[in-house]
Amino acid sequence: MGQFIQFAINGLMSGAIYALIAVGIVSVFKATKVVNFAHGYLIMFGAYFYFTFAVIIPGQEWAPAWLASWQPGWMVEMRQGLNMFSPLGAVLDWAANVPRIIFGLIGAVLCNALLGMLIERSLMRPLMGQSVFAMIMVTVGLISILSGAASLIWTADAAFVPHIAPNTPIRFEVFGTMVFLFGADIVNMIIALLIFGGIVAMVKFTKSGVAIRATAEDQSTAYSMGISVPKIFSRAWILASATGAVAGAILATRNGISPSLGLFGFSVLAIVLMGGLDSYVGCFIAAMSVGVLEAMTQWKLGGEWAEIVPYVAVLVVIIFRPHGLMGQKEVERI
Amino acid sequence: MLSVSDLHLSFGGIKALQGVNFEAKEGEITGVIGPNGAGKTSLFNAISGFYAPDKGTVRFDGQDITDITPDKRASLGMARTFQNIALFRGMTVLDNIKLGGHTRLKTGMFSAFKYFGSARREELELRRDIEERVIDFLEIDHIRKYPITMLSYGLQKRVELARALAMRPRVLLLDEPVAGMNREETADMARFILDVQEQFGTTILLVEHDMHMVMDICSHIVVLNFGQQIASGTPAEVSKNPAVIEAYLGAAA
Amino acid sequence: MINGNLKADYGADERVLNNRNKQLFVYGSMLLLAIFPFVAGDYAMLMACKMGILLIAVVGVNVLTGYTGLVSLGHGAFVAIGAYATVVFSNLFSGLPEGILPLIVIPLAVIVSALVGIIVGLPSLRVKGLYLAVATLAASFIVTFLIEQDLFAPWTGGVNGINTPTANLLGWELDTKREMYVLITVLALTTLLAAQNLFRTRVGRAFIAIRDRDYSAEILGISLLRYKLMSFAISAAYCGLSGALFAYFYARILPEQFELDLSLELVAALIVGGMGRTMGPVFGVFIVMMVPELIKIAMGAATGGSLELARYTGPVQEIVFGLLLVTFLLKEPLGINQITDRILRSANRWPFARG
Repeated sequence: MGQFIQFAINGLMSGAIYALIAVGIVSVFKATKVVNFAHGYLIMFGAYFYFTFAVIIPGQEWAPAWLASWQPGWMVEMRQGLNMFSPLGAVLDWAANVPRIIFGLIGAVLCNALLGMLIERSLMRPLMGQSVFAMIMVTVGLISILSGAASLIWTADAAFVPHIAPNTPIRFEVFGTMVFLFGADIVNMIIALLIFGGIVAMVKFTKSGVAIRATAEDQSTAYSMGISVPKIFSRAWILASATGAVAGAILATRNGISPSLGLFGFSVLAIVLMGGLDSYVGCFIAAMSVGVLEAMTQWKLGGEWAEIVPYVAVLVVIIFRPHGLMGQKEVERI
Repeated sequence: MLSVSDLHLSFGGIKALQGVNFEAKEGEITGVIGPNGAGKTSLFNAISGFYAPDKGTVRFDGQDITDITPDKRASLGMARTFQNIALFRGMTVLDNIKLGGHTRLKTGMFSAFKYFGSARREELELRRDIEERVIDFLEIDHIRKYPITMLSYGLQKRVELARALAMRPRVLLLDEPVAGMNREETADMARFILDVQEQFGTTILLVEHDMHMVMDICSHIVVLNFGQQIASGTPAEVSKNPAVIEAYLGAAA
Repeated sequence: MINGNLKADYGADERVLNNRNKQLFVYGSMLLLAIFPFVAGDYAMLMACKMGILLIAVVGVNVLTGYTGLVSLGHGAFVAIGAYATVVFSNLFSGLPEGILPLIVIPLAVIVSALVGIIVGLPSLRVKGLYLAVATLAASFIVTFLIEQDLFAPWTGGVNGINTPTANLLGWELDTKREMYVLITVLALTTLLAAQNLFRTRVGRAFIAIRDRDYSAEILGISLLRYKLMSFAISAAYCGLSGALFAYFYARILPEQFELDLSLELVAALIVGGMGRTMGPVFGVFIVMMVPELIKIAMGAATGGSLELARYTGPVQEIVFGLLLVTFLLKEPLGINQITDRILRSANRWPFARG
């Protein structure tokens, strides 16, 4: 039972990250009807940007010292006399990193947003109104372009990237068993859920959200009603790559940075399809269930089997519910 | 030949068909008319097997075909055209028409790979058949090698009819065969439909908005309104029926 | 100028090479292929064999994606199944005489691929387009994952790969590239011809009908179930054959050779060459294989053979591969076949301007 709760909580935490990544794919799909096969590689770029702004730039000689490690007098005083593994020590370690974490996150979000806009402008917009197949294949071509570009730009070995929140171990008791978590994981989950919720609320309640939904229903009608569809396209891509940057930063702190981060996108793609492509709620349910299922598989069958959980899950769901858990079935008029 | 009895069809809460009953008699032209949204195309889709009716049966030559798939209905000898032309746009006119012969051919996967031998014989026989029986008949020999996208609307409609005729159908369903055509094209199409009936003895069921044409060529007419069958009979009977006049012109008239 | 299009009977009109220029092109290319092994160096031989193997798989993807309109991003898995089935069956039947072993093993590998193809194709009966692309992608991840597992390692060698047998046709041991070239070229041309033939009959027409408008195909009596699964089976069988040749060609196979990169290469070659056209895969494979080679040569010349800069070659090749696919989608979505069509059209009208 104790093990079960521990793994279930781990699963929910990775589920939240899945949901954060999924939100990018769903938003682009809703606005443009294109499923971005290269979303994982956008996330990889986000991770590398975070690495660049939080590690490489602060490490340069010309960068101010406080950026690399912020050590105001009061913090030095507090540190004195602390033993090695005290929770306060971990918090202080984190506090010293705060400037570069903020710098890294802002840099990653801005650069990735710019990258998303660039992709939309140069590759997606010329295909607007063309077959969806062509657009999807363009994102497939983007996989190679992004993955090649990343290994060309970031040749240095990816070192440690700072955690977004203090990584203190937290222990507490649930139903009489000890559960063991890391502080950073909890904060990551909260960030992921807040961003997810924020985007859903935006699409539901704001004017540009209505414009996105109208575009999702019918692009040409939306265009003729005065909605600037190209602008919606741009915004969706910027939104997806900006959220992708945050997801990338989180993943970088959890699993380290490597070109294989891009492959992560495919499991999220499977999750999005399971959820039903255009449904935020469906994707959230799918993300959480896959997260928990993965954790359980890891527990019972071993880590490597967890790799294929999203793929098996999506096949099962597609066979029984061809349009995903909550997806809209498109009625074909004959 | 083709009969529907007590056909009911609904989508969610919308009742598209409520108890339609009629028979298309062998070798005759039967027309289905009704205002927009009366359920005419739904009726066609139920007859050709795209929609499963909630209640009622569709019979073809005495056999109950309510539950079989569209492709099996085609093998029995049922052909149809669509309201908004459903030709294969990636193919030439000739290939489109050849597809009509699909159910009559036997070539399997392996003889198709080989081509030379039985598959080639069969293909050449099909080519001869459609050239002589369909392309010549519908006067489309000048466009046979054209891609569909190069043809005018009227010609596309004619190619769709050609494709249906290549099936050697026993029953032909025509969904608005002259919609959107000018007077001359309409007259041509009406002549072709009559010729098909005369030469091949095909039973024809058609949906149409063009009253003149329906009255001219149909021997029996079924009138639908809001999914209900409000009248049926000869053109003369139907045009005098008060319920039909009301449906078309409103109560005040 | 080829004037008129005058035919005396339907047989003449149904011919594929229905004019002089097409005949010239096809027979000329076959002559070149026959001369090639006598003049080419070892490296050119290696490239030719790789192209031939890839070509067979791309022709398979063309049947499914180009003609039937069912998008698959996971066909690398069928190549894997063909290759591993070849190794597994060769070891299983090692008691049989060497000379007839490939004659049994290759057909078996093809059949196994086709059967798995039918299973993977099952979702295509319920979902279209995107969903199918992701479903095939997911299936391919599962296949390569299973090959790597310790559970199957006794047969597949797991992540470390496994040594492959040498092909031996009735006592003729194909242990050089030049000999493999003969087998690969003969099989590639045969399968290309078979695919072309398919689309001269009702089977191929049914595939195209499903691609263009599936409900209209149904109304003509085409069973979607039967033909979609048949298309999957044929394309998987082609990939299986390609995998079998892959296994015979290389001394060792590794699971990572059949992962996403291969699946994407197959689709990219098809798009670059021209989807739904017989010669599309031929042109596409040529470009997709030659461009990275040219980059390697160019990078080698530019960097003067410095090892320091040589590590940039891989990423640059990757980027150019992606750009190639994207550029074709943006500028010439019907692929090189469209360009050659234009050239052929002006050749037919020469010396008049093309109209």
